[in-house]
Amino acid sequence: MLENYLPVLIFIAIGIAFGGFMILMGFLLGPRKPDSEKLSAYECGFEAFEDARMKFDVRYYLVAILFIIFDLEIAFLFPWAIVLRDIGMFGFMSMVLFLGILVIGFIYEWKKGALQWE
Amino acid sequence: MLVELIQSFFAGLGWPWGLPEWMQVGLVILAKIVVILVPLMVCVAYLTYAERKVIGFMQVRIGPNRVGFFGKQMWGLGQPIADAVKLMFKEIILPAGADKLLFLIAPVIAMAPALAAWAVIPFGSEMVLADVDASLLYVLAITSIGVYGIIIAGWASNSKYPFISAMRSAAQIVSYEIAMGFALVGVLMAAGSINLGDIVAAQQGGFWQWFWLPLLPLFVIYFISGVAETNRAPFDVAEGESEIVAGFHVEYSGMPFAVFFLAEYANMILISVLASLLFLGGWLSPLEGLLPESVFEITLLGSLLGPGLHWLVVKTLIFLFFYLWFRATFPRYRYDQIMRLGWKVFIPLTIVWILVVGVMIITGTPPWFDVA
Amino acid sequence: MSFEQIIFYIFSAILVAAAVGVITVRNPVHAALFLVMCFITTSALWLLLEAEFLAITLVLVYVGAVMVLFLFVVMMLDINIAKMREGFTGYLPLGALVAGGTIAVMWYVANNDYFNLTNMPPPERLAADASNTRMLGEQLYTTYVYPFEIAAVILLLAIVAAITLTLRHRTGTRYQKIDQQVRVKRDERVRMVKMESEERK
Repeated sequence: MLENYLPVLIFIAIGIAFGGFMILMGFLLGPRKPDSEKLSAYECGFEAFEDARMKFDVRYYLVAILFIIFDLEIAFLFPWAIVLRDIGMFGFMSMVLFLGILVIGFIYEWKKGALQWE
Repeated sequence: MLVELIQSFFAGLGWPWGLPEWMQVGLVILAKIVVILVPLMVCVAYLTYAERKVIGFMQVRIGPNRVGFFGKQMWGLGQPIADAVKLMFKEIILPAGADKLLFLIAPVIAMAPALAAWAVIPFGSEMVLADVDASLLYVLAITSIGVYGIIIAGWASNSKYPFISAMRSAAQIVSYEIAMGFALVGVLMAAGSINLGDIVAAQQGGFWQWFWLPLLPLFVIYFISGVAETNRAPFDVAEGESEIVAGFHVEYSGMPFAVFFLAEYANMILISVLASLLFLGGWLSPLEGLLPESVFEITLLGSLLGPGLHWLVVKTLIFLFFYLWFRATFPRYRYDQIMRLGWKVFIPLTIVWILVVGVMIITGTPPWFDVA
Repeated sequence: MSFEQIIFYIFSAILVAAAVGVITVRNPVHAALFLVMCFITTSALWLLLEAEFLAITLVLVYVGAVMVLFLFVVMMLDINIAKMREGFTGYLPLGALVAGGTIAVMWYVANNDYFNLTNMPPPERLAADASNTRMLGEQLYTTYVYPFEIAAVILLLAIVAAITLTLRHRTGTRYQKIDQQVRVKRDERVRMVKMESEERK
């Protein structure tokens, strides 16, 4: 199994090196004539009004938290999906119960309006 | 096939030249990676050309038609090369107040996963660089790293538009990743394997045996989620030029911008290849089961009609054309509509269909699941 | 030294360096990114232990999901670092106590006979076509069905907790009700008014 991952490792290394190389080429070939106007943050021609790091709606956190939970659910579903034929009815029902419990959570989210983007 | 060709080419040169074994192994792997990456880069370059041409024709324009080779115009075929060269000679602007290191790392983080995912993509029944068992899971995991490129770019620029865009697109990408994951669960169930090669092999038996038919809702959801994952129109609020100019790469110029561009198009091709592998039988021929067996044994015509890399390419091109078509046809979704579609439509639909597929497998519904 | 050992030491070195980075850099975003690096290298180490499914899931769940949330939080909260450093000396005794306790537990576990090499030998190399995911699946949904269902309950609890803690409805926002919009009939929107034609004055 491990030997199959050697090309993957090399591929990842090449992917990173390739991106780095392209940017390096850009630095070597392109001109560098910075001035303060050019380097200022782009805001459609205006001077920047305030700090760019602003406060964001708490809703983004909620999306991220719910995403973690559903991502875990998917992680549980993956091994189940490929062995479904071997574990038969019992395995199927155990996942039906698992999904059933989580669908309760999903309905709760829905009714509470957590999925509503205002 | 191509890989064996290259190996035999090196063997003809008197390979190995007395190198230590690990170096031989490394060089063979490197050669294979080059064989995958070079056509991929050419595809990316000409996808940008195809995009401009196709959308041009759809809007009754001609599209790029000036830059050619050898002093001829050649329908503008030289355009992507000229664009790449131009970007290479452009100044790289590092905005004041930016986190300079992260600003430059961000495009690399966006691109490396988009390329590394190709390590496990099979191009034929034996044509795969790394035949890892959990290859689909690997693709899902490595592409989920790509979102960091966008988040870091938005944060490191120290500018408002990129930051807004980064937050929006991160929330969008993670939302659609769930729908995509659930759709993939259906494929895994139908195939009974998590290996991409085995998933294609499970679709043997002609056009009506491919997974697009029993998994039709998941197929549609997968591809739409794929469009949303790659931040393409009509889900391109991350770039939304009418409100936040160009989104997370407002402050990028020259080569770092080109790298972001490359990552986006490499991801588009990746999603298209995966869609053809998972739902349209990959390299399998649609004529299988329709034509008599003897047809496939004819020397040249048989191999053309039979399974092969060319079918995978054709199917991928169909999905890529859909990408371009969507962009020309649909107006941009509003952000609340995007979130509604992902959470309130796709997730319930996929959960229901997973249960339907489960029942079909347990009861052995013909014609797809009757063989245990 | 075998090739796997070289890979192991390289990834371990990156892991330790990144872990040191997490607690030493001043910028919280940089710290979070170092933590991402930790997870990726840990995943490589798990892979070396033949735990293919768990290794990839670690990247999928922790890097792809949990750390995105962390980054959201540290990027948007605008943490004032100078303020956070004020109480440092005050918390030092408590922190030292916790750190000491953790080190003691780790020492105990690492020196315990239960975890020595005879009781816990390095995992056997799996064959090239062995499916780690399949082995896991065959056990998880039948033999370990109770822990599996308990996991579902814990996830349900997490959903409820997340919503009660973070969901705040804004007052006065109006949004599109698409289902009602689609279901609307012509008669509900259009009123035909009969009018006699009038002569122009």
